Amino acid sequence: MDIYLCSKRPSWLVDNRRMRTTSDFQWLLSAFVLLYLMNHVNSQRKETPYDLKCTTNNLQTWDCSWKAPSEAGHGTLSEFCIDNRSRSCYQLARTNIEIPALSRGDHEITIRSLQDAGSSTSKFILNEKNISLIPDTPEILNLSADFSTSTLHVKWNDKGSVYPRHSNVIWEIKILRKKSMELVKLVTHNTTLNGKDAVHHWSWVSDLPLECATHYVGIRCYVDNLLFSGHKEWSDWSPVKNVSWTPASQPKVFPQDKVILVGSDITFCCVSQEKVLSAQIGSTYCPLIHLDGENVAIKIRNISVSDSSGTNVVFMIEDNVCGTVVFAGYPPDTPQKLNCETHDLKEIICSWNPGRPTGLVGPRNTSYTLFEGFSGKYVRFKRVEVSTNESYHQLLFQMVPNQEIYNFTLYARNPLGRSQSTILVNITEKVYPHTPTSFKVKDINSTAVILSWHLPGSFAKINLLCQIEIKKINSVQELRNVTIKGVENSSYRIAVGKLNPYTVYTFRIRCSTETFWKWSKWSNKKQHLTTEAIPSKGPDTWREWSSDGKNLIIYWKIWAFFSEAYKGPEDFMNPISLALHDLQTEQAVGMGKGILLTWHHDPNMTCDYVIKWCNSSRSEPCLMDWRKVPSNSTEALIQSDQFRPGVRYNFFLYGCRNQGYQLLRSIIGYIEELAPIVAPNFTVEDTSADSILVKWEDIPVEELRGFLRGYLFYFEKGERDTSKMRDLESGRSDIKVKNITDISQKTLRIADLQGKTSYHLVLRAYTDGGMGPEKSMFVVTKENSVGLIIAILIPVAVAVIVGVVTSILCYRKREWIKETFYPDIPNPENCKALQFQKSVCEGSGALKTLEMNPCTPNNVEVLETRSTFPKIEDTEIISPVAECPEDSSDAEPENHVVVSYCPPIIEEEIPNPAGDEAGGTSQVIYIDVQSMYQPQAKPEEEHEKDPGGGAGYKPQMHLPINATVEDIAAEDDLDKTAGYRPQANVNTWNLVSPDSPRSTDSNSEIVSFGSPCSINSRQFLIPPKDEDSPQSNGGGWSFTNFFQNKPND
Amino acid sequence: MDMSWDSWGMLACLCTVLWHLPAVPALNRTGDPGPGPSIQKTYDLTRYLEHQLRSLAGTYLNYLGPPFNEPDFNPPRLGADTLPRATVNLEVWRSLNDKLRLTQNYEAYSHLLCYLRGLNRQAATAELRRSLAHFCTSLQGLLGSIAGVMATLGYPLPQPLPGTEPTWTPGPAHSDFLQKMDDFWLLKELQTWLWRSAKDFNRLKKKMQPPAAAVTLHLEAHGF
Repeated sequence: MDIYLCSKRPSWLVDNRRMRTTSDFQWLLSAFVLLYLMNHVNSQRKETPYDLKCTTNNLQTWDCSWKAPSEAGHGTLSEFCIDNRSRSCYQLARTNIEIPALSRGDHEITIRSLQDAGSSTSKFILNEKNISLIPDTPEILNLSADFSTSTLHVKWNDKGSVYPRHSNVIWEIKILRKKSMELVKLVTHNTTLNGKDAVHHWSWVSDLPLECATHYVGIRCYVDNLLFSGHKEWSDWSPVKNVSWTPASQPKVFPQDKVILVGSDITFCCVSQEKVLSAQIGSTYCPLIHLDGENVAIKIRNISVSDSSGTNVVFMIEDNVCGTVVFAGYPPDTPQKLNCETHDLKEIICSWNPGRPTGLVGPRNTSYTLFEGFSGKYVRFKRVEVSTNESYHQLLFQMVPNQEIYNFTLYARNPLGRSQSTILVNITEKVYPHTPTSFKVKDINSTAVILSWHLPGSFAKINLLCQIEIKKINSVQELRNVTIKGVENSSYRIAVGKLNPYTVYTFRIRCSTETFWKWSKWSNKKQHLTTEAIPSKGPDTWREWSSDGKNLIIYWKIWAFFSEAYKGPEDFMNPISLALHDLQTEQAVGMGKGILLTWHHDPNMTCDYVIKWCNSSRSEPCLMDWRKVPSNSTEALIQSDQFRPGVRYNFFLYGCRNQGYQLLRSIIGYIEELAPIVAPNFTVEDTSADSILVKWEDIPVEELRGFLRGYLFYFEKGERDTSKMRDLESGRSDIKVKNITDISQKTLRIADLQGKTSYHLVLRAYTDGGMGPEKSMFVVTKENSVGLIIAILIPVAVAVIVGVVTSILCYRKREWIKETFYPDIPNPENCKALQFQKSVCEGSGALKTLEMNPCTPNNVEVLETRSTFPKIEDTEIISPVAECPEDSSDAEPENHVVVSYCPPIIEEEIPNPAGDEAGGTSQVIYIDVQSMYQPQAKPEEEHEKDPGGGAGYKPQMHLPINATVEDIAAEDDLDKTAGYRPQANVNTWNLVSPDSPRSTDSNSEIVSFGSPCSINSRQFLIPPKDEDSPQSNGGGWSFTNFFQNKPND
Repeated sequence: MDMSWDSWGMLACLCTVLWHLPAVPALNRTGDPGPGPSIQKTYDLTRYLEHQLRSLAGTYLNYLGPPFNEPDFNPPRLGADTLPRATVNLEVWRSLNDKLRLTQNYEAYSHLLCYLRGLNRQAATAELRRSLAHFCTSLQGLLGSIAGVMATLGYPLPQPLPGTEPTWTPGPAHSDFLQKMDDFWLLKELQTWLWRSAKDFNRLKKKMQPPAAAVTLHLEAHGF
């Protein structure tokens, strides 16, 4: 506070200045003097009023106080004067005064102390800036506690009436807990003062239930007046008020039966006179927080959703227990897919999906209220406890008379919150009728029936749209929509026409409203036979003269149930006037299943046209069917199921004129042309040295199967056995082809041929449907005789001339020839010296001196032995593979490696016929290896019989790898005999069980089998099995687990 | 409380009951069979209900949640004072006469049945309600059986005093936790009562057995 103190007496500072003139050596003395003077000055000051301080608590009055001079005794009068324009003085017997607030600016204050010894006066300058605004200490009017919600309510008066001006006030409230008054909350609360007293409320929710510990509340305030230029200070704290709960004799847990949001934090406490040992939520133990006395608390963070009966919080006390149940869940989700519709315009059904489950059941479950805005009516959802479809809720709302528009709001509410959905519906547009019942069919006539049904509902004001399904046997169903006016009595009738007489129909019906929303479900089906009707027209007739012209044949068709068939002239016409003029027979080929006939319009034809057709191969009278077409038609597509491809039909178009028919056109045609099925019969009429004349016959119409378009004639040189004319279509150059397109031609002369040559002739016919089969013939051309004669005569003449000339020459030179070519030679046979040899080697007269070798013997003897001994080459061909064909064929390709082992394999396979489904050769071997040591059939029994014996070492003497059938059959005894025994535990072989890869992977077996080790040591090549094999201990494991996992009840 | 459920035991028990129901009166004698068969029937029924209760209690205690379904949970009997107590001093029990013994049984089960029906009303799940309803039906049968024995012996049925009719009132003062404790104790008392009743009827059975009965029924309750 800046208060300027003015005194008439000399200031102590003047005295102090004088003292500075003293010399330094007198420092100690000076200090003493200074101390004395200070004391003197102080004693001087206390002789006048001093230390004026002014505060305000309401801005209207200032409380000023000062200190009286020390001489002044009790009851000394003082005069307090404010020196402004109108000097005002107050005589006081005390040292404080309440003065009205002074205006802004400096004010001189004179305080004169009136003592017996005289008076002392002090002057002060007082300004608003020097004034402190300290509000009065507020007081809590009321502190109350809502224990159920752990809420503290604080109420106090702001005493606003004492403040002349509008001011803002800041309140500071402190919450203290426990007897040790630990501060747990300090909050500020802003209000304004408006010149009147006002009571303020403030509430605070405690995280700790209020029952658990004493709670204290204190308050102070700060007035923030903007116009006040002085110093503002907080008021003092109000006296604290507290709330506490009187504990009962029994321990109790708070809060009780609380419903909270999942994920929130909550504190539970136990108010107990005895020591609490432990606390748990669900099955989880929690650390204890000690409060006053024996009270304890636990804090749960991020609580999870509760079970249906809630989550238990239990405090264990010695010889006692106390607890509470907390329900952690969610507020109701916004009702989804809210939809309102009606079946009968009497009752509205609103349905919705509740959305996310709240986790709260029973009394804390979500309650629903359906409120209608226009009528103000509402209905509440009553939960059906048994077998409620939780994903779908619905409510029934009785319709309000004469109200069509409904504004529904569905309110959902549970202890954790509320939500709502709204829907505005025009209920006449949301009609989903019931399924029509009592559906009946009644006859009206042969083509119409009446359908009647029952459809409950107040549809009198709207129209119904119904759909009738009409189904005829072997026919497509027909749907007819009808609109009918709704009635009040729910009975409906409708006539259905355009039916066929005497026909079985199946009807069913469903309904909606004209403003379509949903179809009802289909009613039951009703089968109905329409009544019979008189024929609607006479039979369709046709008549023809018989071929001899003496009889008239009349044909007619029986109508099936045709009521809407074409109606032509029905009278029985005059016999046909076959005005046969020069009619050209035309050809036509159909398309697909029918044949299209066209003609020019003839205005003379007034009645109709008739097209009749027949199979041309049939004998007269030929009539398959006929058809009448209107007189204005110029074409007709004739279709019949009787039409077959490749069959020739005759079509006759008749025009009707003046009640008589005239044949207009005659057409032969095929629905589809096919290739001829026979070749034309052809013969060779004439053969010369260079030409052949061929003649053929027509193919019968039935076998032609199309319009004949021509013949193809092929020919080539060739004998009967060597002809190469296999592929006629390939266009080989040596095959000559003649295409005869003139089908009237029946002969063909082939010229420019070679004489005395064999020719291969082929003839085939073709239609647009394709080529027919071929017919072939071999013909040899005749010889050319003139050339032959010349060829003979010329060489004969030349030979004769040469002979004659030679004879003449030889005759003339015969002596010379004799000397030259035939001199006389003596005959050695006449030599007598060589006569003896004749008897020795008779018959070989040419060999006389060269017979040095003995006679060569015949080798017939060797041939006799070949029948019993095969040739050496054959023996070499035979391989072991050939000796075991079954094995090599059955085995996999890789198994050929073990071919050389075939003989033992065959033997081993016999005793194990059902040993394994894998039929490979190597598989058999492997099984044999196994079966040597461990019979697979009874592994467990074996194990029991000889638990440790299998592991022993056995001599290798009687290895049964090549054992006979008998040896293997007795293999069960092998373990006991002296055969080779594996050094490992036999039981480990059991591990190789169906789920082990061994039994399926035969390749790996080959590797082990084909190793350089002897068969006797084969087992060491098989890796030892892991001890965790599922078969070895899997059963025991699961069995144990079964008990371990079994609920401990 | 041991909640292990032996289905074979239940089957054996059921078979025993079914065997005795038709066989006992027909086999014994041609004249008035006396109270023996009906006592035997009642005894069998208590043993059957014991097994049925084990299943029900397991389900219901799981519904109450931990620690109620923990095997070592043994709270003091809080607020369950209205439940009839089955425990009694051995000397007092021995000194009970037949009429008093039967009357106490009848009264106890009348009360317990009423509480059990209240339990059914508040159960949250449909499956639990079905189990409870099934057990109530069985208990009703036991009550009728006891009444039959009393009628055979010529004892009048106890009339409930007006105003003492046991009612199940969920009242706001009863917190959910205390309600769970009550449920827990109700099941526990039921079990104790069934044990006691088995002893009661066994004692009665021996007492009522004629000294020279033509046929002696011997029942071995396997699996209990």
